[in-house]
Amino acid sequence: MKRRITYIQRPEAPFAPEQVTLLSKSVQIEGLDAAREDRITFDLDDLPEELRAVCRQSQELHIRWATERPFDAIAPFASRVSPGLHVHYTPVTAGQSSDALCSVLRTAFGVVEDDVICTSPEDSFIAPPLRATESGIAASLQYHTQLPSLTSLVDSLVKTACAGDGPCTAHDLTLLLKADNVDLDFDITSNTLTMSGVWNNAPESVWSETIKGPVSKADKVEFGLLGAEKGIDADEIKVGGLLAVVGEDKKLKPTMFSFPSRHHALPQSAGYMVSFAEPTGLHPTMSISIPRSSLGLPPAPDDTTCGLYTYLTLPSSVFADQYQIGSTDSLFLRSHNLAGLRAHAGETDLEAPDWVVKRWGSTWLIELATPDLDSAVQSANWTATIPLHLRYLNPSESGYRSADVPWPVVFWACSAEDEEAGMGINPFDRKHLGYDSLFAPRTLFYQFHPRSDRLVEEIDFPVLHLKDGEGLFKSRNIELATCAVISLGFLWILWRLVQVTWSSGLGSNGKTERSHKHDKKE
Amino acid sequence: MALFDSAPRVFFAAAALRLVLLVYGGWQDAHSAVKYTDIDYMVFTDAARYVSKGETPYARDTYRYTPLLAWMLLPTAWEAPAPWSSVTFAFGKILFALADVLAGWLAVQLLTRFYRLSPERALRYVAAAWLWNPMVANISTRGSSEGLLGVLVAALLWATLTRKAVLAGLILGLAVHFKIYPFIYGISILWWWDAERDGAVSARDISWIFQALRFITPSRVKLTLSALISFAVLNLVMYNQYGMPFLHHTFFHHLTRIDHRHNFSPYAILLYLSAAGNTESHFEALAFLPQLLLVVVAIPLVLAKKSLATTMLAQTFAFVTFNKVCTSQYFLWYLILLPFYLPSSEFIRKPALGISAALLWVIAQALWLQQAYNLEFLGLSTFVPGLFLASLFFFAVNVWILSIIVCDGGQSMDLDFQDKE
Repeated sequence: MKRRITYIQRPEAPFAPEQVTLLSKSVQIEGLDAAREDRITFDLDDLPEELRAVCRQSQELHIRWATERPFDAIAPFASRVSPGLHVHYTPVTAGQSSDALCSVLRTAFGVVEDDVICTSPEDSFIAPPLRATESGIAASLQYHTQLPSLTSLVDSLVKTACAGDGPCTAHDLTLLLKADNVDLDFDITSNTLTMSGVWNNAPESVWSETIKGPVSKADKVEFGLLGAEKGIDADEIKVGGLLAVVGEDKKLKPTMFSFPSRHHALPQSAGYMVSFAEPTGLHPTMSISIPRSSLGLPPAPDDTTCGLYTYLTLPSSVFADQYQIGSTDSLFLRSHNLAGLRAHAGETDLEAPDWVVKRWGSTWLIELATPDLDSAVQSANWTATIPLHLRYLNPSESGYRSADVPWPVVFWACSAEDEEAGMGINPFDRKHLGYDSLFAPRTLFYQFHPRSDRLVEEIDFPVLHLKDGEGLFKSRNIELATCAVISLGFLWILWRLVQVTWSSGLGSNGKTERSHKHDKKE
Repeated sequence: MALFDSAPRVFFAAAALRLVLLVYGGWQDAHSAVKYTDIDYMVFTDAARYVSKGETPYARDTYRYTPLLAWMLLPTAWEAPAPWSSVTFAFGKILFALADVLAGWLAVQLLTRFYRLSPERALRYVAAAWLWNPMVANISTRGSSEGLLGVLVAALLWATLTRKAVLAGLILGLAVHFKIYPFIYGISILWWWDAERDGAVSARDISWIFQALRFITPSRVKLTLSALISFAVLNLVMYNQYGMPFLHHTFFHHLTRIDHRHNFSPYAILLYLSAAGNTESHFEALAFLPQLLLVVVAIPLVLAKKSLATTMLAQTFAFVTFNKVCTSQYFLWYLILLPFYLPSSEFIRKPALGISAALLWVIAQALWLQQAYNLEFLGLSTFVPGLFLASLFFFAVNVWILSIIVCDGGQSMDLDFQDKE
């Protein structure tokens, strides 16, 4: 088991040398104001049985979790995903996925099986468009579900992987409950599972803890305290500070290095708000508002071209019409401040009610139009709108149901002309976010910051109002009334037809008259 | 009214109305984010684009029509420089609009020739129900293909009344290939077209065996065979070209679909309930019984020999009223048949009745639409009782109107016997 704990201090954060003390078998942190990353690499044998079984059937497994709470994402942890649990999975052999994955999501992650559907990856996951990335191909199957807390995962790891006297402790794990992002990565080449949590701020404003060194020789604990700032090259981040291998190094080693970063944070002023115009009806419109003043081009390298994007992760009950938002009609796009639909995957059937939809939902990469910043009209916010639609849901007792739509992420993506070039090594790199694989490998992302108390919007759906077994309009009465009214209508028309037959038979009314004429002629 | 003295004037006005709407539609499409053009037309033109690239029209989701439609609209896929591109884009709409006018012309011909209406009255009825009906002109210029059914039905009636059995069969096969429902007309035409229609003397005193044998007449055989042949050949050609997706999207989809979205049908709420697994009796599985018994058996049997056009109208009306799915485009199906029925109808003889029927129909629609608006745009749960009661009321109004059509049909008499003498 390996563990790496890194504190990243903002340039303005105070620091005094006595806040960090390296002892022979531990590091002591006192009142440190910093972001923190805790990265634990597990051997498969240490994992809970079911999780291990899933890894054995995976070529790659990348799980991304983000909290619903708002947080500042600072360099080098600037990347963002929509709140909830994202799973990117490639089975060892295509088409033979692990059925255990769905049950792990329920048992280990505590995904509540309410309206969330997960039977097997083939049936419930979606297949995003494939695009070559540096590490081969993008994960072939994708899943998302709402998950406000990682309690189940923490409980499960406390009892298994972190039960011994290894470098991860129950206390460390409970901290995960307050993390902003938690990632789990497995790939068949390393054959290890790496879990990393990121806290952009200390849960109790500052960090105070003792990081213990390893008890066994097989384990390793690394510690770092770094300050991050912009590098010399536009795509680089420069860090400097102190490093140590806990239990081995006698003193903290000063260090300074820089690395290219895929994700960059925009200034704090670059926030965005997501809302739905009331009443949402069956066709809610999602609005994304960004202050005009923060829509200047990001400080990307000169050889790149940038576009403003949003990436939506929608549950199956909410969907976009690919033909509507995929329209190339400039009037339509302008009226919504969109530049166009760039990629989409998942459940896009326009007619299916929710109960026949088998997969969890859909993802949408949409390029947003950017305002003409020189123009005289300067309303405070630039608002792009995305027309969405609701599926029919099962009847309910109140006549309404609700769906939680996670806020989309909003970012500039800047791609270099030279599509093939790879990205240099970044010790804090984060990939497999869903949208990154839809761009060229060396694309830089500049993230906007969501501004709200909760990064999930709740939409109310009108559904059939049905009280179990009571009221005038209970299910049985609707059946009977429909049956009765239609039968009456049918019988009435039939009765009229019988009357017609009695009075004038089945033949032509003209026939008798005509045969009489014939008779006379004869 | 002097306006109706001249047929060219009526047709010119009808064509002008459509031309104005086409130009206006082009203007609105070019200047507003809210499009005049129907979503379905985008489906057709996308499908035509796939066909022009040598692909299958079913590559376009929700293309649920015969490939013929995409083929007909191939010019919309032509790349042309600026002013011409809007003309090529509108090609299909122009075709639909011309089909409208042609249907109207056929109706006028039939009315004056077989229904003994003065040209002025014929023009007046056809203009009111069809040619100048803004709904008809709107639907075809927005690019909905329902208008094509109008001309096919008018042509079917024309071929039948002029005793062109083979032609009538070919048109029938084509119409059924296009949109399954016209098969109901086949039944009434077959029953209507007895030996006496072809000039034979009626024989009442012969035994039932001969009566039965007399049913098989050359015209009926020709009609049936040509209808089967045109239907089969079209399907074979399309199947050969596009395989199972053609059969699936053109036919099976319509037979197996359950439209869960709210619509005018009295079954809508029941279908929602049962699809969500909340019903006990599955009455909706038998929905085809009352519908087909009326449309395919009872109405043709009782009425067809009395008045073919009225029978076809009653069939269409019953088909739409008793259908599991009913949207406003279905109402277009019976509009082309109205000019044949209205002149001798009780609705015209008793204007108070006619006006109340029209009012009730509109009120029932409005009530339903209000509930649907509350649901769709205000997000209120109006499925029950609002939409449910509104759809049952609309059904009741339709049944009442149908009962009057049926009574009128029972008293009416195709004048075409006299015509032959």
